[in-house]
Amino acid sequence: MKPRGMPSAPPRSFQTMLLVAALLALVAASFASLPLEWGAFFTPEAASTSAEFLGGFAPPDTSLPFLRKSVAAAAETLSMSALGTLLAVLGGLALALPAAGRFGPLARSGTRALLNVLRSIPELVWASLLLVAAGLGPFAGTLALGAHTSGVLGRLFADALENAAPLPETTLRTNGAGSLAAFFYATLPQTLPQMLSYTLYRWENNIRAAAVLGVVGAGGLGQMLKYHLSLFQMQSAATVVIAMLLLVAMVDAVSFALRRSLTR
Amino acid sequence: MLELRDLTKSYNGRSVLNAISYRFKAGEFVAIMGESGVGKSTLLNLIAGLDASDSGHVLVDGAPITALDDDAATRLRRTRMGFIFQAFHVLPHLTLLQNIALPLLLNGRPAARANAMLAAVGLAGRGNDFPRQLSGGEMQRVAIARALVHHPALVLADEPTGNLDPDTAASVLDLLRSEVKANGACAIMVTHSHAAAAKADKTLVLTRSGLALAPAVS
Repeated sequence: MKPRGMPSAPPRSFQTMLLVAALLALVAASFASLPLEWGAFFTPEAASTSAEFLGGFAPPDTSLPFLRKSVAAAAETLSMSALGTLLAVLGGLALALPAAGRFGPLARSGTRALLNVLRSIPELVWASLLLVAAGLGPFAGTLALGAHTSGVLGRLFADALENAAPLPETTLRTNGAGSLAAFFYATLPQTLPQMLSYTLYRWENNIRAAAVLGVVGAGGLGQMLKYHLSLFQMQSAATVVIAMLLLVAMVDAVSFALRRSLTR
Repeated sequence: MLELRDLTKSYNGRSVLNAISYRFKAGEFVAIMGESGVGKSTLLNLIAGLDASDSGHVLVDGAPITALDDDAATRLRRTRMGFIFQAFHVLPHLTLLQNIALPLLLNGRPAARANAMLAAVGLAGRGNDFPRQLSGGEMQRVAIARALVHHPALVLADEPTGNLDPDTAASVLDLLRSEVKANGACAIMVTHSHAAAAKADKTLVLTRSGLALAPAVS
């Protein structure tokens, strides 16, 4: 249905229809190929077992020593995410310049391939690999976050640099500015708010990832969670989960407020 | 001051400029007119050393700019030339004063003259404003101030009034002329507008056969 007076919408192309059909077929094939036992999931037995399991988490452990331990682990997770993001910003910036074609097409292709590799390997896999070199603890987790996020931020920064309006830099070059000065005075100021916004968003992601990385021994709340779950100390695990939720909510709120102020 | 000697340029086998020769004197304000696509902007780019000619020479004070490498051409533009564009090209994230001071800063000179130039183009007291707060005419005034702040010997203007209404265009051109004369610079202005060309000391016409003085209008 179209509003009165408006011309007809452009017809959908055959390729678009074909793509939609292929996507639908893929969804149908996914359901068919996986042994999804929805019936077993919704039985009264499953519901009562789940309720019993969840009941074990209540009440959370609120003893002062355990709360102190949880706060210390939360601080470790926060530090891992912040340092990992900082490393990623440095790595991402260094790789974004060649990836944006600033050093020629060959360097662009090579760096983009490297960025693809960095971000295709999930943080958890990076952490498992780096645990061997860096040992158990937050250092391996920080490096894992840095490696994966470098790939993400490097790509986003490179795209931001490539998409920046070229006119200001051209103007400066025309007026006799060197290529470095033109970049720092024209292109970087244009893209900086966008880059900061991407960084804050990835920090939000990294705080969640940092919490999970502990599970493979990379320190912080995740390591505590794994420890207490493996000993079936559900009330302690509940406190750790609540600490994770509070930490993620706090970082999300701070990051959201900062990103809003940047885009205003 | 500026000499073009047998300047030739073609793109993809299509000849754009063919054996262009002309001598510009210091202190003169020259308009260049011509049909669209005849190569006016290309000629400005060759003069500025932003593009390389196929053959011929551009000489600034007797020195061939065509023989300079990229760095040397950049230095020459920074010290001896000022540019004015149709779309103003002021940097949006810098204040008016910072925009005007850019050529001074690039040359490592004190930025004090930027204030005087801001006043000279009728924008005194607005140095801390940003370009988004200006009208088109005001933005072109800022561009003129920026082009002249470092006392360039050569000012190149590409359709400087193309985006302005006739009244604003006339006042911007009066300003450009008076500032160019006050600075003793040679100004070359590419334009489609006869009214704009009338503000120049003389008008040249660029055609496929070369650059020549426009016939006098009776």
